[in-house]
Amino acid sequence: MAKSPDTMTQARGKEIKEEFLSGSDILIKRLYTPEDVADINYDKDIGLPGEPPYLRGIHPNMYRGRLWTIRRYSGTHTPEETNKLYKREYELGQTGFSIALSVTTGYGLDSDDPRAAADVGVAGVPVDSLQDMEIMFDGLPVENVSTAILTCPVTILPLTAMYCVMAEKRGVDLKQLNGTSLNDIMTQTSMANWNVVPPPHTMRLAVDLIEWCCENVPKWHPVLFDAYNYREQDINAFQELAILLATAIGYIEEGKGRGRVPLDKFFRRFSFDMGCHNDFFEEIAKFRAARRMWYRIVTERYGITDPECTKFRFHVQSSGCTHTTAEPLNNIIRIAYQTLAAALGGAQSVHANSYEEGLCLPTEQGMLLSIRTEQILQEETNIINTVDPLGGSYYVEWLTSELERKTWDYLKKIESAGGIVAAIQSGWIHREYKEAILERQRRVASGEAVVVGVNKYVLPTEPYQVPLHRANPNATELQTKKLQKLRMERDNVAVSQAIERLNEVASSDENVMPAVIEAVRTYATIGEMCDVFYKACGVWRPPMSA
Amino acid sequence: MTTERKIRVLMAKPWIDGHWRGLIVVTQALRNAGMEVVYGGNLTPEQIAEIAVQEDVNVIGLSFLVDTYMVLAPKIIEELRRKGKEDVLLLLGGIIFKEDIPALKEMGVAEVFGPGSDLEEMVEFVRQHAPA
Repeated sequence: MAKSPDTMTQARGKEIKEEFLSGSDILIKRLYTPEDVADINYDKDIGLPGEPPYLRGIHPNMYRGRLWTIRRYSGTHTPEETNKLYKREYELGQTGFSIALSVTTGYGLDSDDPRAAADVGVAGVPVDSLQDMEIMFDGLPVENVSTAILTCPVTILPLTAMYCVMAEKRGVDLKQLNGTSLNDIMTQTSMANWNVVPPPHTMRLAVDLIEWCCENVPKWHPVLFDAYNYREQDINAFQELAILLATAIGYIEEGKGRGRVPLDKFFRRFSFDMGCHNDFFEEIAKFRAARRMWYRIVTERYGITDPECTKFRFHVQSSGCTHTTAEPLNNIIRIAYQTLAAALGGAQSVHANSYEEGLCLPTEQGMLLSIRTEQILQEETNIINTVDPLGGSYYVEWLTSELERKTWDYLKKIESAGGIVAAIQSGWIHREYKEAILERQRRVASGEAVVVGVNKYVLPTEPYQVPLHRANPNATELQTKKLQKLRMERDNVAVSQAIERLNEVASSDENVMPAVIEAVRTYATIGEMCDVFYKACGVWRPPMSA
Repeated sequence: MTTERKIRVLMAKPWIDGHWRGLIVVTQALRNAGMEVVYGGNLTPEQIAEIAVQEDVNVIGLSFLVDTYMVLAPKIIEELRRKGKEDVLLLLGGIIFKEDIPALKEMGVAEVFGPGSDLEEMVEFVRQHAPA
């Protein structure tokens, strides 16, 4: 039994704050003791790593067997420059790639589309056709690396197809091809204001890709449920986890409803991505709780016990919205703590941000530092020596269970709102984002939430400058020229036929992926393919308003 | 000088970049200060000018999180001119490189508010400078 508040006050003496709250406003006590974990059954609730419910990790030996993958999210201006960047990252010891796409490609716009003009090469690399994918991976061992393609339906379908066709043309067996498609319906609802197909259609296309991958690229992760982006809307740790799980449940329900692929095959390659914010222990608790909750959902709701399906595999990115533009070098420290939390939480791959990402795309120096941040953690600190080193801590186990309880409650709320698709369409999710954004702003403005260098210990003038990365102003021109040449040289009859075929399947119930693959082979452009879907499905505007 | 006329603001993100947090926060702050704010979300330069005319705004706030402002700000100013909507206070926010600010002001941008800007100061600036 917990002691009464009066006894607690006497015992603790004077403290610097009235109450101590976690990042998601969980009231934290001065001290945790065996009493706080008395209701936890070790075998059932915690167990061993590599065994259900996987609270302590999905592998028995975790990083002793295999270090987490250092996977930077990167891409720049043109496919040619991105190829150089990837080669450099590979030489530095990076073992996986993650394609940051130009916002134009993310929306399915060709680089020579007048609507794209200002934005080609913004936030990542433009990929207009199979040709650009070939350029990007020229000279890189696609058979030995894994690549994540980070965009959502619609564009993820042609882009995954481009990667597969590129690999196949180089003689790589698709059965061995390794990588990930983001393919999460939530991404656009939390980031995009433009050219989004309505959520039920987005779900249909997402599941088309999964079904196709199950048959054709079985090692590929056909979906990465990507909580990182909506966590950046300042929702808290349990909201993030609950939305993540609700989305995965939505996909399983869709797959189950269609019944084309047996369920245990359908989601055996699901993968997850979360942000890591500043509340160190709460973030670790979140990663641990995620594994246990996923295990429970899969076994209890769906009756599936295949470990490939019940293991929660996840990537972590340090949180961009915790960065400050004031004194940007301070972000190095924030990133290092967040990366440590990801590792102590048992992540399978990690992207440590670059410290200047609040100001610009990463510079060469920022990129190097972010890889080194992870390597120092892996090679110098010995944190990898034992599995789940925080397991059994009274505080961490209590917090893991507490966060799990909060997550179940919030998941119920989403399900009461009709499940994830309905919650997106009705604007429910966007109201949650908006509330969180305004509340965070209120707390930073009032000083309730401290941001060092921004609302506390503020210097009168910026003490230093850091090197900044500037966009290549020629990206649009370079891509446009290349694309126009391609349009002249390719077999345009074959392109038209492939697009016509895509048109037919887009308005039917058929899986669209075989037709997408055929279109990609003819060097049809991303714009040509995506337009088919925008016409067939219609365009929807996420209900974000202020 | 406080104007008699009600301050009407259009808040928008030019073109397709999503990051909308700043836009939402500033919209709310201006509304709390009693101004009428049209939240435009993502709009093309043409749409920004059109809505500015239709809604008869005297202030436009644009948020940029990527460095497209040197291309898009002049386009928007040009569109406003074409529609005869020149008497408008144009403000930029978001990630704007310091070295670009003089050029932006030369083009007709009244002020730039970066991350961490004080919302009260921003509101005061709008009150002081919104054309009647």
